[in-house]
Amino acid sequence: MFKNYLKIALRYLLKNKLYSIINIFGLAVGIASFVLIMLYVNYEKSYDTFEGSENVYRIYMDYLEGDTYVPGDAMTYNSSGPALKEMFPEVLDYVRFYYFEKLAFKVGEKILEQPLGSLADPSYFDIFNYPLLEGDKKTVLAEPNSIVLSKSFAKKLFGNQNPLRRTISVFEDGKETQLTVTGIMEDVPETAHYRNSFLISYETEKTLTDFGPTAHELNWNMNNYYTYLKLAPNTNIDVLRQKIIDSDIEKSETERHNIEPIEDIHLYSDKPYEVTANGSVLRIKFLTAIAFIILVLSWLNYVNLSTTKSMERAKEAGIRKVAGAKKSQLIVQSLMESLLLNFIAMAIALSIVFGVLPLYTNIIGNELNLDWGFIVSFIPYFIFIVGGVILAGLYPAFLLSRYSPAKALKGKVRASTEGIGLRKGLIVTQFFATIVLLTGTFIISKQINFLDNQPIGADVGQIIALHGTVVSTQSDSLVNNDFRVLKEQLEDFPFIEKTAIAQTYPGDSFDNLSSSRGIWLPDGRSDKANIFYTYHAQPDYFDLMDIEFLAGGTFVLNSKFEGNQIVVNETFLKTVGISSPEDLLNKTVSFWGNNQWKVVGIIKDYYHFGLKTPVLPTIVRYQDDISNLLVKIDKSSISIAGLETALSQIENKWHEVFPQSTFNYTFLDEKFEAQYEQDKAFGKAFQIFTVLSILIASLGLFGLTAYTVVLRKKEIGIRKVNGATITQVLTLLNKDFVKLLGLAFIIAIPSSWYVMNQWLEGFTYRTNFSWWIFALAGTTALLITFLTVSWQSFKAAIANPVESLKDE
Amino acid sequence: MLLQLNNIFKWVTTGGQRIFLLKDINLEVEEGEFISIMGPSGSGKSTLLNVIGMLDNFDEGEYNFMDESVHSLKEKHRSNLYKQYIGFVFQSYHLLDELTVKENLEMPLIYKKIKGSERKAMVADMLDRFNIVGKKDLFPAQLSGGQQQLVGVARALIASPKLILADEPTGNLNSKQGEEIMELFKQLNEEGVTIIQVTHSEKNAEYGSRIINLLDGRMV
Repeated sequence: MFKNYLKIALRYLLKNKLYSIINIFGLAVGIASFVLIMLYVNYEKSYDTFEGSENVYRIYMDYLEGDTYVPGDAMTYNSSGPALKEMFPEVLDYVRFYYFEKLAFKVGEKILEQPLGSLADPSYFDIFNYPLLEGDKKTVLAEPNSIVLSKSFAKKLFGNQNPLRRTISVFEDGKETQLTVTGIMEDVPETAHYRNSFLISYETEKTLTDFGPTAHELNWNMNNYYTYLKLAPNTNIDVLRQKIIDSDIEKSETERHNIEPIEDIHLYSDKPYEVTANGSVLRIKFLTAIAFIILVLSWLNYVNLSTTKSMERAKEAGIRKVAGAKKSQLIVQSLMESLLLNFIAMAIALSIVFGVLPLYTNIIGNELNLDWGFIVSFIPYFIFIVGGVILAGLYPAFLLSRYSPAKALKGKVRASTEGIGLRKGLIVTQFFATIVLLTGTFIISKQINFLDNQPIGADVGQIIALHGTVVSTQSDSLVNNDFRVLKEQLEDFPFIEKTAIAQTYPGDSFDNLSSSRGIWLPDGRSDKANIFYTYHAQPDYFDLMDIEFLAGGTFVLNSKFEGNQIVVNETFLKTVGISSPEDLLNKTVSFWGNNQWKVVGIIKDYYHFGLKTPVLPTIVRYQDDISNLLVKIDKSSISIAGLETALSQIENKWHEVFPQSTFNYTFLDEKFEAQYEQDKAFGKAFQIFTVLSILIASLGLFGLTAYTVVLRKKEIGIRKVNGATITQVLTLLNKDFVKLLGLAFIIAIPSSWYVMNQWLEGFTYRTNFSWWIFALAGTTALLITFLTVSWQSFKAAIANPVESLKDE
Repeated sequence: MLLQLNNIFKWVTTGGQRIFLLKDINLEVEEGEFISIMGPSGSGKSTLLNVIGMLDNFDEGEYNFMDESVHSLKEKHRSNLYKQYIGFVFQSYHLLDELTVKENLEMPLIYKKIKGSERKAMVADMLDRFNIVGKKDLFPAQLSGGQQQLVGVARALIASPKLILADEPTGNLNSKQGEEIMELFKQLNEEGVTIIQVTHSEKNAEYGSRIINLLDGRMV
């Protein structure tokens, strides 16, 4: 009997080609989109999961802002971990990291710059269960001057030689430190927020860093350390958190310690001084919603089409019943058909997934690994898909089996209103989803447009930041002097317009700024509550970046205040409650134990971290530095092709001045744009899946119109014989859909407004909702509906009525 | 006695008024009879046939089929009853377009859960008997109307019913094809199958042993 069912199902699908293609294609696209999105969602959710990760927590600092504590810093003090371990038995162990954005290594004569590594406590391998390939977990980080290399970094340094027990030098602030390789670890997986490529034993801090003689002793002054805790299994986190907050270990009125699960960091944490820019749970939620919408849309399509189609098959069901078929037999047969159709669709969907994956990886910007664990984690979704298929197949099956054979054989079911309410409901749902997604697409591109075009108060165009690690035995002041010499030499190049030296620049990462609290103002007041951010630069910086001054000007060379000159921004004034720039200009303020800071200028606010982060109260200090040599390229004297030559000329000059050094460069505009990269990728994905949803919905509408037209063929014929024009027939057929669309539009406006506002709130600076976005979404949906429906309606409207009336 | 209808009424209510489709029908059918139901359009011929075939319900009266009282049976039993004893033939044949001749014949047997080998034998037998072996792999659309109705009758017969109900079996056929089908019915009747047909044609009605005339739902 099964074989029989299958055979008939197959024949039926082949015979009704349009119906089958629309159904299979719609379902395949729906399932493929769902799988692709959920692959990415699963990838994002899999961050920082390793054996025991559920008990690993990060300590972070809450800062008091006004009356409430807000997450203020992902870094903690070197005392935080030890203190918590001592106070609370639930805290089994801690590991502290002192983080290097990059470090220069020397092996023999080879100098290599390696990003992302840390000083780490010996407990690292106990807490982070990543494999250690060579060495003993207990001892590799125990001794000072030990280093553990990641597999790929070891290969980069030593090629195929055995790196164990080898000596390498690192350079920090020009100072050389010798380290011994004690272990090789597996590369930290991509799905980790903290991807160390080397670990240096924590004890090495005393000799490696240069924060003064007592910095490495336990203190509550410098919070430059990431601290992770290993908690006892089944610890009640809320209780422990409260105990930590209540204990006030640091005895501070303005900040407190807090903890968060390591597994949540990637999606939920966006604090100042994160190790790396994290993902966003909101984006993940949106994508998940889209995935389900597309899948459900394709099911609705299926239900809608097969319900309509089942009326056409009422006669068949009648014959079968008269021939002795039981209700259950008809249901099973109908279900077989839907299963067959869905499995074909699923097979096509999977081939789409595998075909599109490389391209998709490109768009999303992440490598998706389809390993075994990943596939296992996908099983629930497959169950969901198959379950949905069965549910979607059940309704038409029941409908079909319910027809009374006497009526069905007389052809009376056809004209009946069976299931019309349901089908209308399904169509409204599809229209609703279409309009919400369209609104979403428009608002996202409006926001991205806003991010791209909003003036940021500084000009990052045509500027290249040159940086590298200088290996030199000379004193700091001599190196600084060499840097200035290099700057002057570069200015001689005709293609270089301006140069400047600065610690950081707009678009650079957070950790190039220092944060601190406590400032004494010229009017005798002091502000101990607010955090202000500091970086240093040289006089040319403001001119090069095109940052405007509200009052005063840049640092003055050779003045008696030289190193004590500062420039503050507008937000700084607002934060400390000074209304007029003149009240601060040329006056002195005091912080960091120095009461001689002279305010020489007040700059207009510019968006140092782009439009996603609020403008921070900022102080720019005048200080020597070799972090970045910024050069502004003269656009008129250089072509894009000439840029490469120019860069190599610059590099040659750099190596002339600093023979032993690394050289890197960054285009400021690119780096600044990169802050919005994830938002743009999200926008692109949203766009693609919106188009796909609309395609699916249109397919359904197309199929539905085709059948509506068939069902109403006779009616159309009669109307035409009685004098209806083509336009009148078209109106008749399209009117219903437009009404449903109108209803969907009315429901969609408040829903999409609510949903998209949530997304917009993720941006500190954002565009507004305009009425035209809804109008545009509505019009687009209307247009698509018309195009989909009209082709079929038109065919019916121009048909010769004699044809449709001569049957029977 | 094969079946007995006592005071059967069937009506629909529109606008608070009862419109009678069948009014006080009393009918006894013996085994081996060949009955023709006649009457103008709308007189209730097909309705009566559907009631006899248990495809349609009635509102009042008693219906006994082979000593079972149909009016008190549950839906499930009723359909078991007609599945076992009644075969249907339609004016517009009602063959399944997706199935070949052979498969159309096989369909009722599948629903009766008859084993594959047995089904094959029964289908072959029927094809042979109706002289349509050569057409067994064709689809209905590839046959003439007469041939389609032949398949329709064969399908009605395949499960060896006691009663065949035919609703204008020749209505869509030309006179020659019609005659062939009526000859076939006559022959089947002689072999012992009870037949009730609805027809417009006096000539076809003559094939039967008894004629029942209907007017506005009443037997006249």
